[in-house]
Amino acid sequence: MTALTHPSAPQPQRQVAPRIGARAVCEALVREGVTTIFGYPGGTVLPIYDVLREFPLRHILVRHEQGGAHAADGFSRATGGVGVAIATSGPGAINLVTGLATAMMDSVPMVAITGNVPRALLGKDAFQETDIVGIALPVTKFATVVMDPDEVPFAVAEAFEIARSGRPGPVLLDFPKDVLQEETSVPYPEPYELRLPGLLRPVRGDVPEADELAEMIAAAERPLILSGHGVQIADATDLLRKVAERSEIPVAHTLLGIGNIDETHRLSAGYAGMHGWMHVNKMIQQCDLLIGIGCRYDDRITGKTSTFAPNAKIVHVDVDRSEIGKNVRTDLGIVADAGDLLAALLRRLPQSDPRTEWMDQLAAWREVSEARSWHGSGAWREGRLSADYVVDQIGEATNHEATLVSDVGQNQMWAARYFGFRKPFHHLSSGGLGTMGYSVPAAMGAALGAPERETWAIVGDGGFQMTMQELATLVQDQIPVRIAVLNNHRLGMIRQWQEIIYDENYHSAELLGPDLVRLCEAYGIPAWRATRPDEVAGVIAEARKAPGPALIDFHLDEAQNVYPMMLPGKGLSDMVEGASE
Amino acid sequence: MAAARRTIPAGDPDAEHRRHVVSALVVDRPGTLNRVSGLLRARSFNIESLTVGTTHEPGRSRMTIAVRGDDGHLRQVLAQLERLIEVLDVTDLTSAPHLELELVLVELAVPASADEEQAVLDLLASAGGETVERDADVWRARLTASPEVIDRALDALRGHGLRSLVRAGAVAMAAHPHHDTTTNENGAPGA
Repeated sequence: MTALTHPSAPQPQRQVAPRIGARAVCEALVREGVTTIFGYPGGTVLPIYDVLREFPLRHILVRHEQGGAHAADGFSRATGGVGVAIATSGPGAINLVTGLATAMMDSVPMVAITGNVPRALLGKDAFQETDIVGIALPVTKFATVVMDPDEVPFAVAEAFEIARSGRPGPVLLDFPKDVLQEETSVPYPEPYELRLPGLLRPVRGDVPEADELAEMIAAAERPLILSGHGVQIADATDLLRKVAERSEIPVAHTLLGIGNIDETHRLSAGYAGMHGWMHVNKMIQQCDLLIGIGCRYDDRITGKTSTFAPNAKIVHVDVDRSEIGKNVRTDLGIVADAGDLLAALLRRLPQSDPRTEWMDQLAAWREVSEARSWHGSGAWREGRLSADYVVDQIGEATNHEATLVSDVGQNQMWAARYFGFRKPFHHLSSGGLGTMGYSVPAAMGAALGAPERETWAIVGDGGFQMTMQELATLVQDQIPVRIAVLNNHRLGMIRQWQEIIYDENYHSAELLGPDLVRLCEAYGIPAWRATRPDEVAGVIAEARKAPGPALIDFHLDEAQNVYPMMLPGKGLSDMVEGASE
Repeated sequence: MAAARRTIPAGDPDAEHRRHVVSALVVDRPGTLNRVSGLLRARSFNIESLTVGTTHEPGRSRMTIAVRGDDGHLRQVLAQLERLIEVLDVTDLTSAPHLELELVLVELAVPASADEEQAVLDLLASAGGETVERDADVWRARLTASPEVIDRALDALRGHGLRSLVRAGAVAMAAHPHHDTTTNENGAPGA
């Protein structure tokens, strides 16, 4: 039947009224619960656009396919569903690649649909032909070309199943134009008809290895949970909190683990890693049991792995077996869905007494580390507009309940440190790939996916200029994204590295940009500029009133760095705490 | 089993690189080879040999991949291979009893004497081989044995008019623990 199905497998006997491949694609999307798709038309996907009106699918015409891919990604992350992007062959398809790689690194389920030249022209360098499957292979969970109209219903159903099962990821389906134009009577498959023998599905249910972990917890004096994106993918944040409360273990989080626990919870330790809080990194280095759940122990968390968590037994729980032992030595590895493991732990753990000594230590370290950061240093009281203050004010104004989509670089770290997240699925960021330009299009998808929440993009002036073409999309579809540009007229993180690591040899760190307020005027987007701390609350309040998109251009102190900072090649015990050091 | 419990050390880049023979059951479709070889390339493994062929089951192919790498690193890469949608099963045969054979075709100069002819035939026989064609100006022969036996035979044949050769790459199969055929004296399957 389909490419992945056993060739001799019986085909469904059922037949439906013949319809062209393009209609079968749209029908499949509707069957999968898709309501919104992000696309850009072109010659080879016009058969889909020709029938799109017949289906209850809202099509958002993006201004560049990269924006479409990031929007689909943002839609997925904000909703827990599967975002969809459509692009034509050749350049259209290739423009998706950055978005596919972004989703792949962060385990985001997504389905990309591309057109290609008719089958007879494949491989003949036809106009706008490219081997998009070959290009997409390393940056997708699965990619294939659908060569037969009869394969279309299964291919789409299997794409969604692959995208969201186990460790999620993006899937690309490439349809030669004539496959979209020819008819098929094959029905949309029932779930039991799918045949994906190579798809790794986590075994669900109790996790017997939780016995050993429970024993390790019982024996530990200074345990710490390091929670990652996998906890939210498993929709297990409630279980995480319950396990923390039952065992009295503080919970740190990675960048994509933001929202795993309410940051005001007494057991929330905070954000760990290269620009994480010093008190959290100190805990990692001092704990005697580190329980990583749904995280990758990637280099931005560990630094030099040989000096990482030197006093701890390291536990690694991940749904993807290939992650365990990949980066750090592991004393106990458990392959399991984060939710299953947490539920299994909860069944086994007795109520623990408060770990007073350990928590007092955390509180003492926290007091010092918060006082040393700009957040507590009061720079804004001296009249200098600092990013931490802006982010903090957006958090306060929105009661910390907005969806916040950060870009990459300093703005991303400020957002992670100072917004004060309370809930899962509210923080979106390109953590693994570090894709500048992610925030505005991803916020577009997030705002459409979760319209009940206010959506903010926090972006630097560099990243903003990478995908600002999507301002027109925001206007055309009146998508209420509030954009906070942290504008230092610099590539701020580049400038910071050049200052600290490259002996202040600033090259290509200065960045000319347009007058953002006038730019927005041209697009018909209300916009404000703030240059002083006392203007911040006012412009945020104004921007929140706008029915559609809005932008605030925050002119920052140009030399502001993100501290603390773990230098490349160093470990968590060896961090630069501020400009004076 | 709800989850495989594993205590896996991180890959040690200084660990000795040894040859591994990996067997992978895959879906027979365009792109599978690309996906498998692409993953090995992305992790900087140089493939010593890779063979692929159909199996007794329609729609399934078997790959035998010979690579060099340290154990921990390779184990992690095999886990990554296993998660590919096209890959159904991956086994590192290296440390378990297994049968491993390679087919080689060679061109040889026609032996100049009866003694020389006997020496060549003995060498071929030592690697499970025989002549396939005896033309007036060239002999063609095949060898079928384990890669180590093949290596020894080919080294010896260089002194006996070896002109060119084509190696098929290793094929391997898990063996019954009581019949470790890799220790077979000539590396060829028992008669």
